[in-house]
Amino acid sequence: MKTRQLFFSLPFLLFTIAFQAQKMDLGKVTIAELEEKEHPRDPAAPAAILFKIGESRTRDENGYISVTEVKTKIKIYKKEGFQWANQEVAFYKLGNTENIYFSDAVTYNLVDGKIVKSKLKSDGQFEEKINKFFSRKKITLPNVKEGSIIEYSYIIKSIGYSIPRRWDFQTTIPMNYCQYKTYIPQYFVYKKSQKGYLFPKVTDEKINNNLGFYDNVTTYVAENFPAIKKEAYVNNINNYVSSVSHELATIDIPRVLLKSISTNWDNITNEIYKMDDFGLELNKKGYFEDELAPILKGLEKRDDKIAAILNFVKSKVKWNGYESYLCDDGVKAAYKNQLGNAAEINLMLVAMLRSAGIDANPVLLSTQSNGVVLFPSRTAFNYVIAAVEITEDLILLDATEQFSEPNILPLRDLNWTGRLIRKEGSSTDIDLFPKTLAKEAVNMSVSINPDATANGKIRCQLACHEALVYRQNNKSVNDEVYLETLENKYKAIEVDDYKRENLLDNTKPIMETYSFKDSNSAELIDGKIYFSPLLFLGLKENPFKQETREYPIDFNYPFQKKYNINVTLPEGYAVESLPQPVNMITGDDIGDFKYMIVANQNQIQVSVLMDIYKPLVASDFYEVVKDFYQKVVDKENEKVVLVKQ
Amino acid sequence: MDKFFSMKHFFLPFFIACVQLAAAQNYLTCLNIPDSLKQNANAIVRWDQTDIDIHSQRNMDIRKKRVVTVLNETGMAAIDAYEPYDKRTHVRSIEATVYDAFGNEIKKIKKKDFRDQCILDGVTLFSDNRVVYLDYIPTQYPFTIVYECEVQTSNTAQIPRWRPMGHYFVSVEKSLLQVTCPQELGLKKQEHNFSNFNIKKIVEKDTQLSYEASGLLAQKEEYFSVNYNKIFPWALLGLEKFNLEGVDGTAKTWKEFGKWYAESLLSDTEELPDATIAKVKTLVGAESDPIKKAKIIYNYVQQKSRYVSIQVGIGGFKPMLAKDVDRLGYGDCKALTNYTKALLGAVGVPSYHTVLYGDHDKIDMESEFISVQGNHMILCVPSDTEYYWLECTSQDVPFGYQANFTDDRKVLVIKPEGGEIVKTQNYRDESNTQFCNGTYKLTTDGTFSAKIQMDSEGSQYGPKYHLEHRRPNEQEAYYKAFLSHINNLKISKMTFSNDKESARFTEKLDLDAIQYATITGNKMLFPINAFNRYDGNIKRIRNRKTDFEIQRGSYDKDEVIVELPTGFTVESLPENVQYDSKFGQYKTEILKKDESTLIYKRTFLLKKGYYQHNEYEAFRLYMEQIAKNDNAKIILNKI
Repeated sequence: MKTRQLFFSLPFLLFTIAFQAQKMDLGKVTIAELEEKEHPRDPAAPAAILFKIGESRTRDENGYISVTEVKTKIKIYKKEGFQWANQEVAFYKLGNTENIYFSDAVTYNLVDGKIVKSKLKSDGQFEEKINKFFSRKKITLPNVKEGSIIEYSYIIKSIGYSIPRRWDFQTTIPMNYCQYKTYIPQYFVYKKSQKGYLFPKVTDEKINNNLGFYDNVTTYVAENFPAIKKEAYVNNINNYVSSVSHELATIDIPRVLLKSISTNWDNITNEIYKMDDFGLELNKKGYFEDELAPILKGLEKRDDKIAAILNFVKSKVKWNGYESYLCDDGVKAAYKNQLGNAAEINLMLVAMLRSAGIDANPVLLSTQSNGVVLFPSRTAFNYVIAAVEITEDLILLDATEQFSEPNILPLRDLNWTGRLIRKEGSSTDIDLFPKTLAKEAVNMSVSINPDATANGKIRCQLACHEALVYRQNNKSVNDEVYLETLENKYKAIEVDDYKRENLLDNTKPIMETYSFKDSNSAELIDGKIYFSPLLFLGLKENPFKQETREYPIDFNYPFQKKYNINVTLPEGYAVESLPQPVNMITGDDIGDFKYMIVANQNQIQVSVLMDIYKPLVASDFYEVVKDFYQKVVDKENEKVVLVKQ
Repeated sequence: MDKFFSMKHFFLPFFIACVQLAAAQNYLTCLNIPDSLKQNANAIVRWDQTDIDIHSQRNMDIRKKRVVTVLNETGMAAIDAYEPYDKRTHVRSIEATVYDAFGNEIKKIKKKDFRDQCILDGVTLFSDNRVVYLDYIPTQYPFTIVYECEVQTSNTAQIPRWRPMGHYFVSVEKSLLQVTCPQELGLKKQEHNFSNFNIKKIVEKDTQLSYEASGLLAQKEEYFSVNYNKIFPWALLGLEKFNLEGVDGTAKTWKEFGKWYAESLLSDTEELPDATIAKVKTLVGAESDPIKKAKIIYNYVQQKSRYVSIQVGIGGFKPMLAKDVDRLGYGDCKALTNYTKALLGAVGVPSYHTVLYGDHDKIDMESEFISVQGNHMILCVPSDTEYYWLECTSQDVPFGYQANFTDDRKVLVIKPEGGEIVKTQNYRDESNTQFCNGTYKLTTDGTFSAKIQMDSEGSQYGPKYHLEHRRPNEQEAYYKAFLSHINNLKISKMTFSNDKESARFTEKLDLDAIQYATITGNKMLFPINAFNRYDGNIKRIRNRKTDFEIQRGSYDKDEVIVELPTGFTVESLPENVQYDSKFGQYKTEILKKDESTLIYKRTFLLKKGYYQHNEYEAFRLYMEQIAKNDNAKIILNKI
């Protein structure tokens, strides 16, 4: 898939690591560090992480335990950075399988040229129960001021041999030095997934331990990684944070166990397929057939059957909001209780489609909030949908969303690629981004009055994802409130005769018709009337305002906006000037824009078309997109001038 | 006789229970809901009964039964199955049953299926307060849910308020409140906005109180509306003898209440280490003016401390000890206020704890109702002529600055002789200023370049002074939003200065933008007002029902020199206008300095005021007129 290249097409920085490990210890605060007034490379930074050093080991202490130790030193430059003096770490509390211990928490200040230490005592430590599974420990450091340095360390101990946590090399403040070491006994092989725009330097070595085998030791070192910045049109900033996560791939303990867990996509999908909460549930029968049969009666065409089954599942079982590819209570319980998680609903959907003779399969994916999947990994997924393979194409289905349709999935699903698993166990990558343009088509006919007010009628049609999003936002909005929102969206026009069709009927586009009075769009200046023929429609501002951009632009889905406008001029006025027609295309097939305008006696006809074909645009093209949008804004707001005859 | 009495006692509650149950049964089906209640409604509260039995000063039971028909997803919030608890408040039972549209039971939800979690408000680091709540995912709409719970608490100082209309877009078929209380505890109440709604007082005695509301229609939430408490019915309940977090109290006047507060919650909290006392005495030195001393101490606290909210045990009311704040350098509003007071005491400046509602909305302490109120604490420092109010949770707000959070409202000042209700400082319309001076010039291709300076004071200072410490990309984003009407805006220079002494914030900007002016044929058009444009976001509201309020007025003054491009002559200039109304005064003027230079002047005074709902359209049109004139264009002709 092309988009995946994004991460690698950028030159990532290589560092010459001058090993500073001996200096990187807690308790070694210098006067120079305390005196530093601003971060040398990011003077606006409210704080910076001077170092964050961690290591994870798996130990055998009458059973395996995994231990992660982290030491952190933070410099606070400004009051806005005080929040860094409050730290928290969540842990799994149920069954006491995990615990966390904070220690060495100290604040350093410079008072009259001397270093003064304030240690954290028990009154600054808290443990809080989040729910029955998780708790968190929190600390708040004493005497934090502008200029302070704070230090703390913590240890997480968990039973088992996994490395459960993601390690981030970047955060919202600059990271001066970040080191992470994993000590993994030779019997375990982990799959490592690294993400982000910057990559730490990695070294591997083997170190003999005194138990007669060796540890594979991997050291990641990141130096001077800049702060992560939030930008508009980014659906999940975590996708761009430099990080590494681990997943167990193979266990090979001599004479005890050989188990391959996840190494490539086929292994992983096989593994998941074999899980009871997945494969077994998928193949369950005998709970829906009686009710499904009458629904399918008389339906011959494949697409009709698919639509009927999708609607049946949507009406039968509601989504409980949990994203998972594994069933929780199982498909039968979900069917009976009319409530289930994503796996229960969509595996049930696959089973029903198969029972109707349609070649349907589950597709594993990672939702937008879960981040992008870059490497084969079991834990990278958190969701499952259904797919029907047809000649050279696919029909994707998700019954968790009331307003979804075949190939119109809820936005949470639109996250790069998924993995389709066939019955016989083979699997393949599929592109989750929608191919069809989500269309908004508006027809407007309007008369301009001699006092520069305007009266007109609008017919607006929304399809595909535009309709899905509209339905989600407006399904239970009170009519009057909706009309007020509509009127105010368009600069206080007055709406009358409002009619809407198909709000709840997904199979058809949303259709709105109304008449309006607009007293704000046209201007009468010295006997001339100035107005943009789009009046209140179209873009008024460029959504891309920042000068440069670091991350790709997520549009979520490709779209088209189309306006057909017919303007009737006021009696006694003629056109003095008209905007020029325009036809532009961006490079790299991102989008295009057409603006046609014709004046004919007392009428002006305008047709405007804007397409964005790519749901995800690399930041290299930011300038192109920004410039394109600016030209669209300029053209859509360009004025017709009418003059009295 | 004995037997008869016991029988009566046995049967009576049973009988009542049967009657109420029968009444409630009618509410289980959705088929008999009057149309008037469905209008504008996302949910209908069919039956809402709250029984509050105060057994003693330290023991109160609250039983709730709530039957709600939910029509759609947005109506889910009306279920209100949410019970906070802590060490002194116990949720004894809690359950819910769900019925379909026809009144058939579809699900029972037991206590163990409710969620239980800590209450986090986003700023609190740690809190003892927890909540049990219902997280039900409906499988169909409409449905009806019957929610019942029983809570026991010793906190009789905080009797829940009765708010029969708890939500917008929710109608109420019937809502009942029944309170019983021993005579000697002095039950009292204060009713608000009952008269416009169908509310009956069934019983009104010293020992018993009962209200019944019926047929309350769903209300739309309107933009720019006054606070809910000013229009919809609610009742405040309290006792003369109460218990707060384990501490008994008695108060018939604010004076008594203040005394009790000081003695029970504030005494012995102000002790400081000798070293700290010596330090602040040195800092103050020979200064004798109490306000100047207070400024020195306030600055010291701002440099030394930070705001961290920790609500443990009685922490919701009793401040952390001053010596602990001294040692740790953090605390919540009570702790930091108390610490500042202790330091002021050490240098001989008297000051008073002040309890209030901290909110952008001006919410008063209910001055006629003596009870535990408020959500915030600040410090009051008296001078000979006036009070200064110190916000001790902020590390950078100027001394005595209150706008937008604690200004112009009734507060409770706790003086040694007792409590007193006082109104905090009002920021007058004319003092909330933004003065903008600058120059912009246009080139022949419509490119614009500008230098401006903006000075903000009063309530306009507060939202701006933080800008100085924002990151450059955030500052840039702020100005691109603030001046969003200028396309292609580039900011080449930003400088800031913050005069804390007089609470004035100055921004200086160098800007440019290509195509600021539109060129059509041989004409050039551009709006003369480049920097301070009101963009007319007062929404049109259909059938406005609620009053509105401008809580803070403001005064903007702009004077901008416009240098026209060479080779163009003025074809038309916007007219000079003056729009005066009860809402404000607006005036613009364009002076021709010479052939190529104009001076644009604009003043706008927006007046503080409370206005009736039927004045809203006039207000909207007034603001729209301003928005239009702010967008008025100059037309130039190419020579």
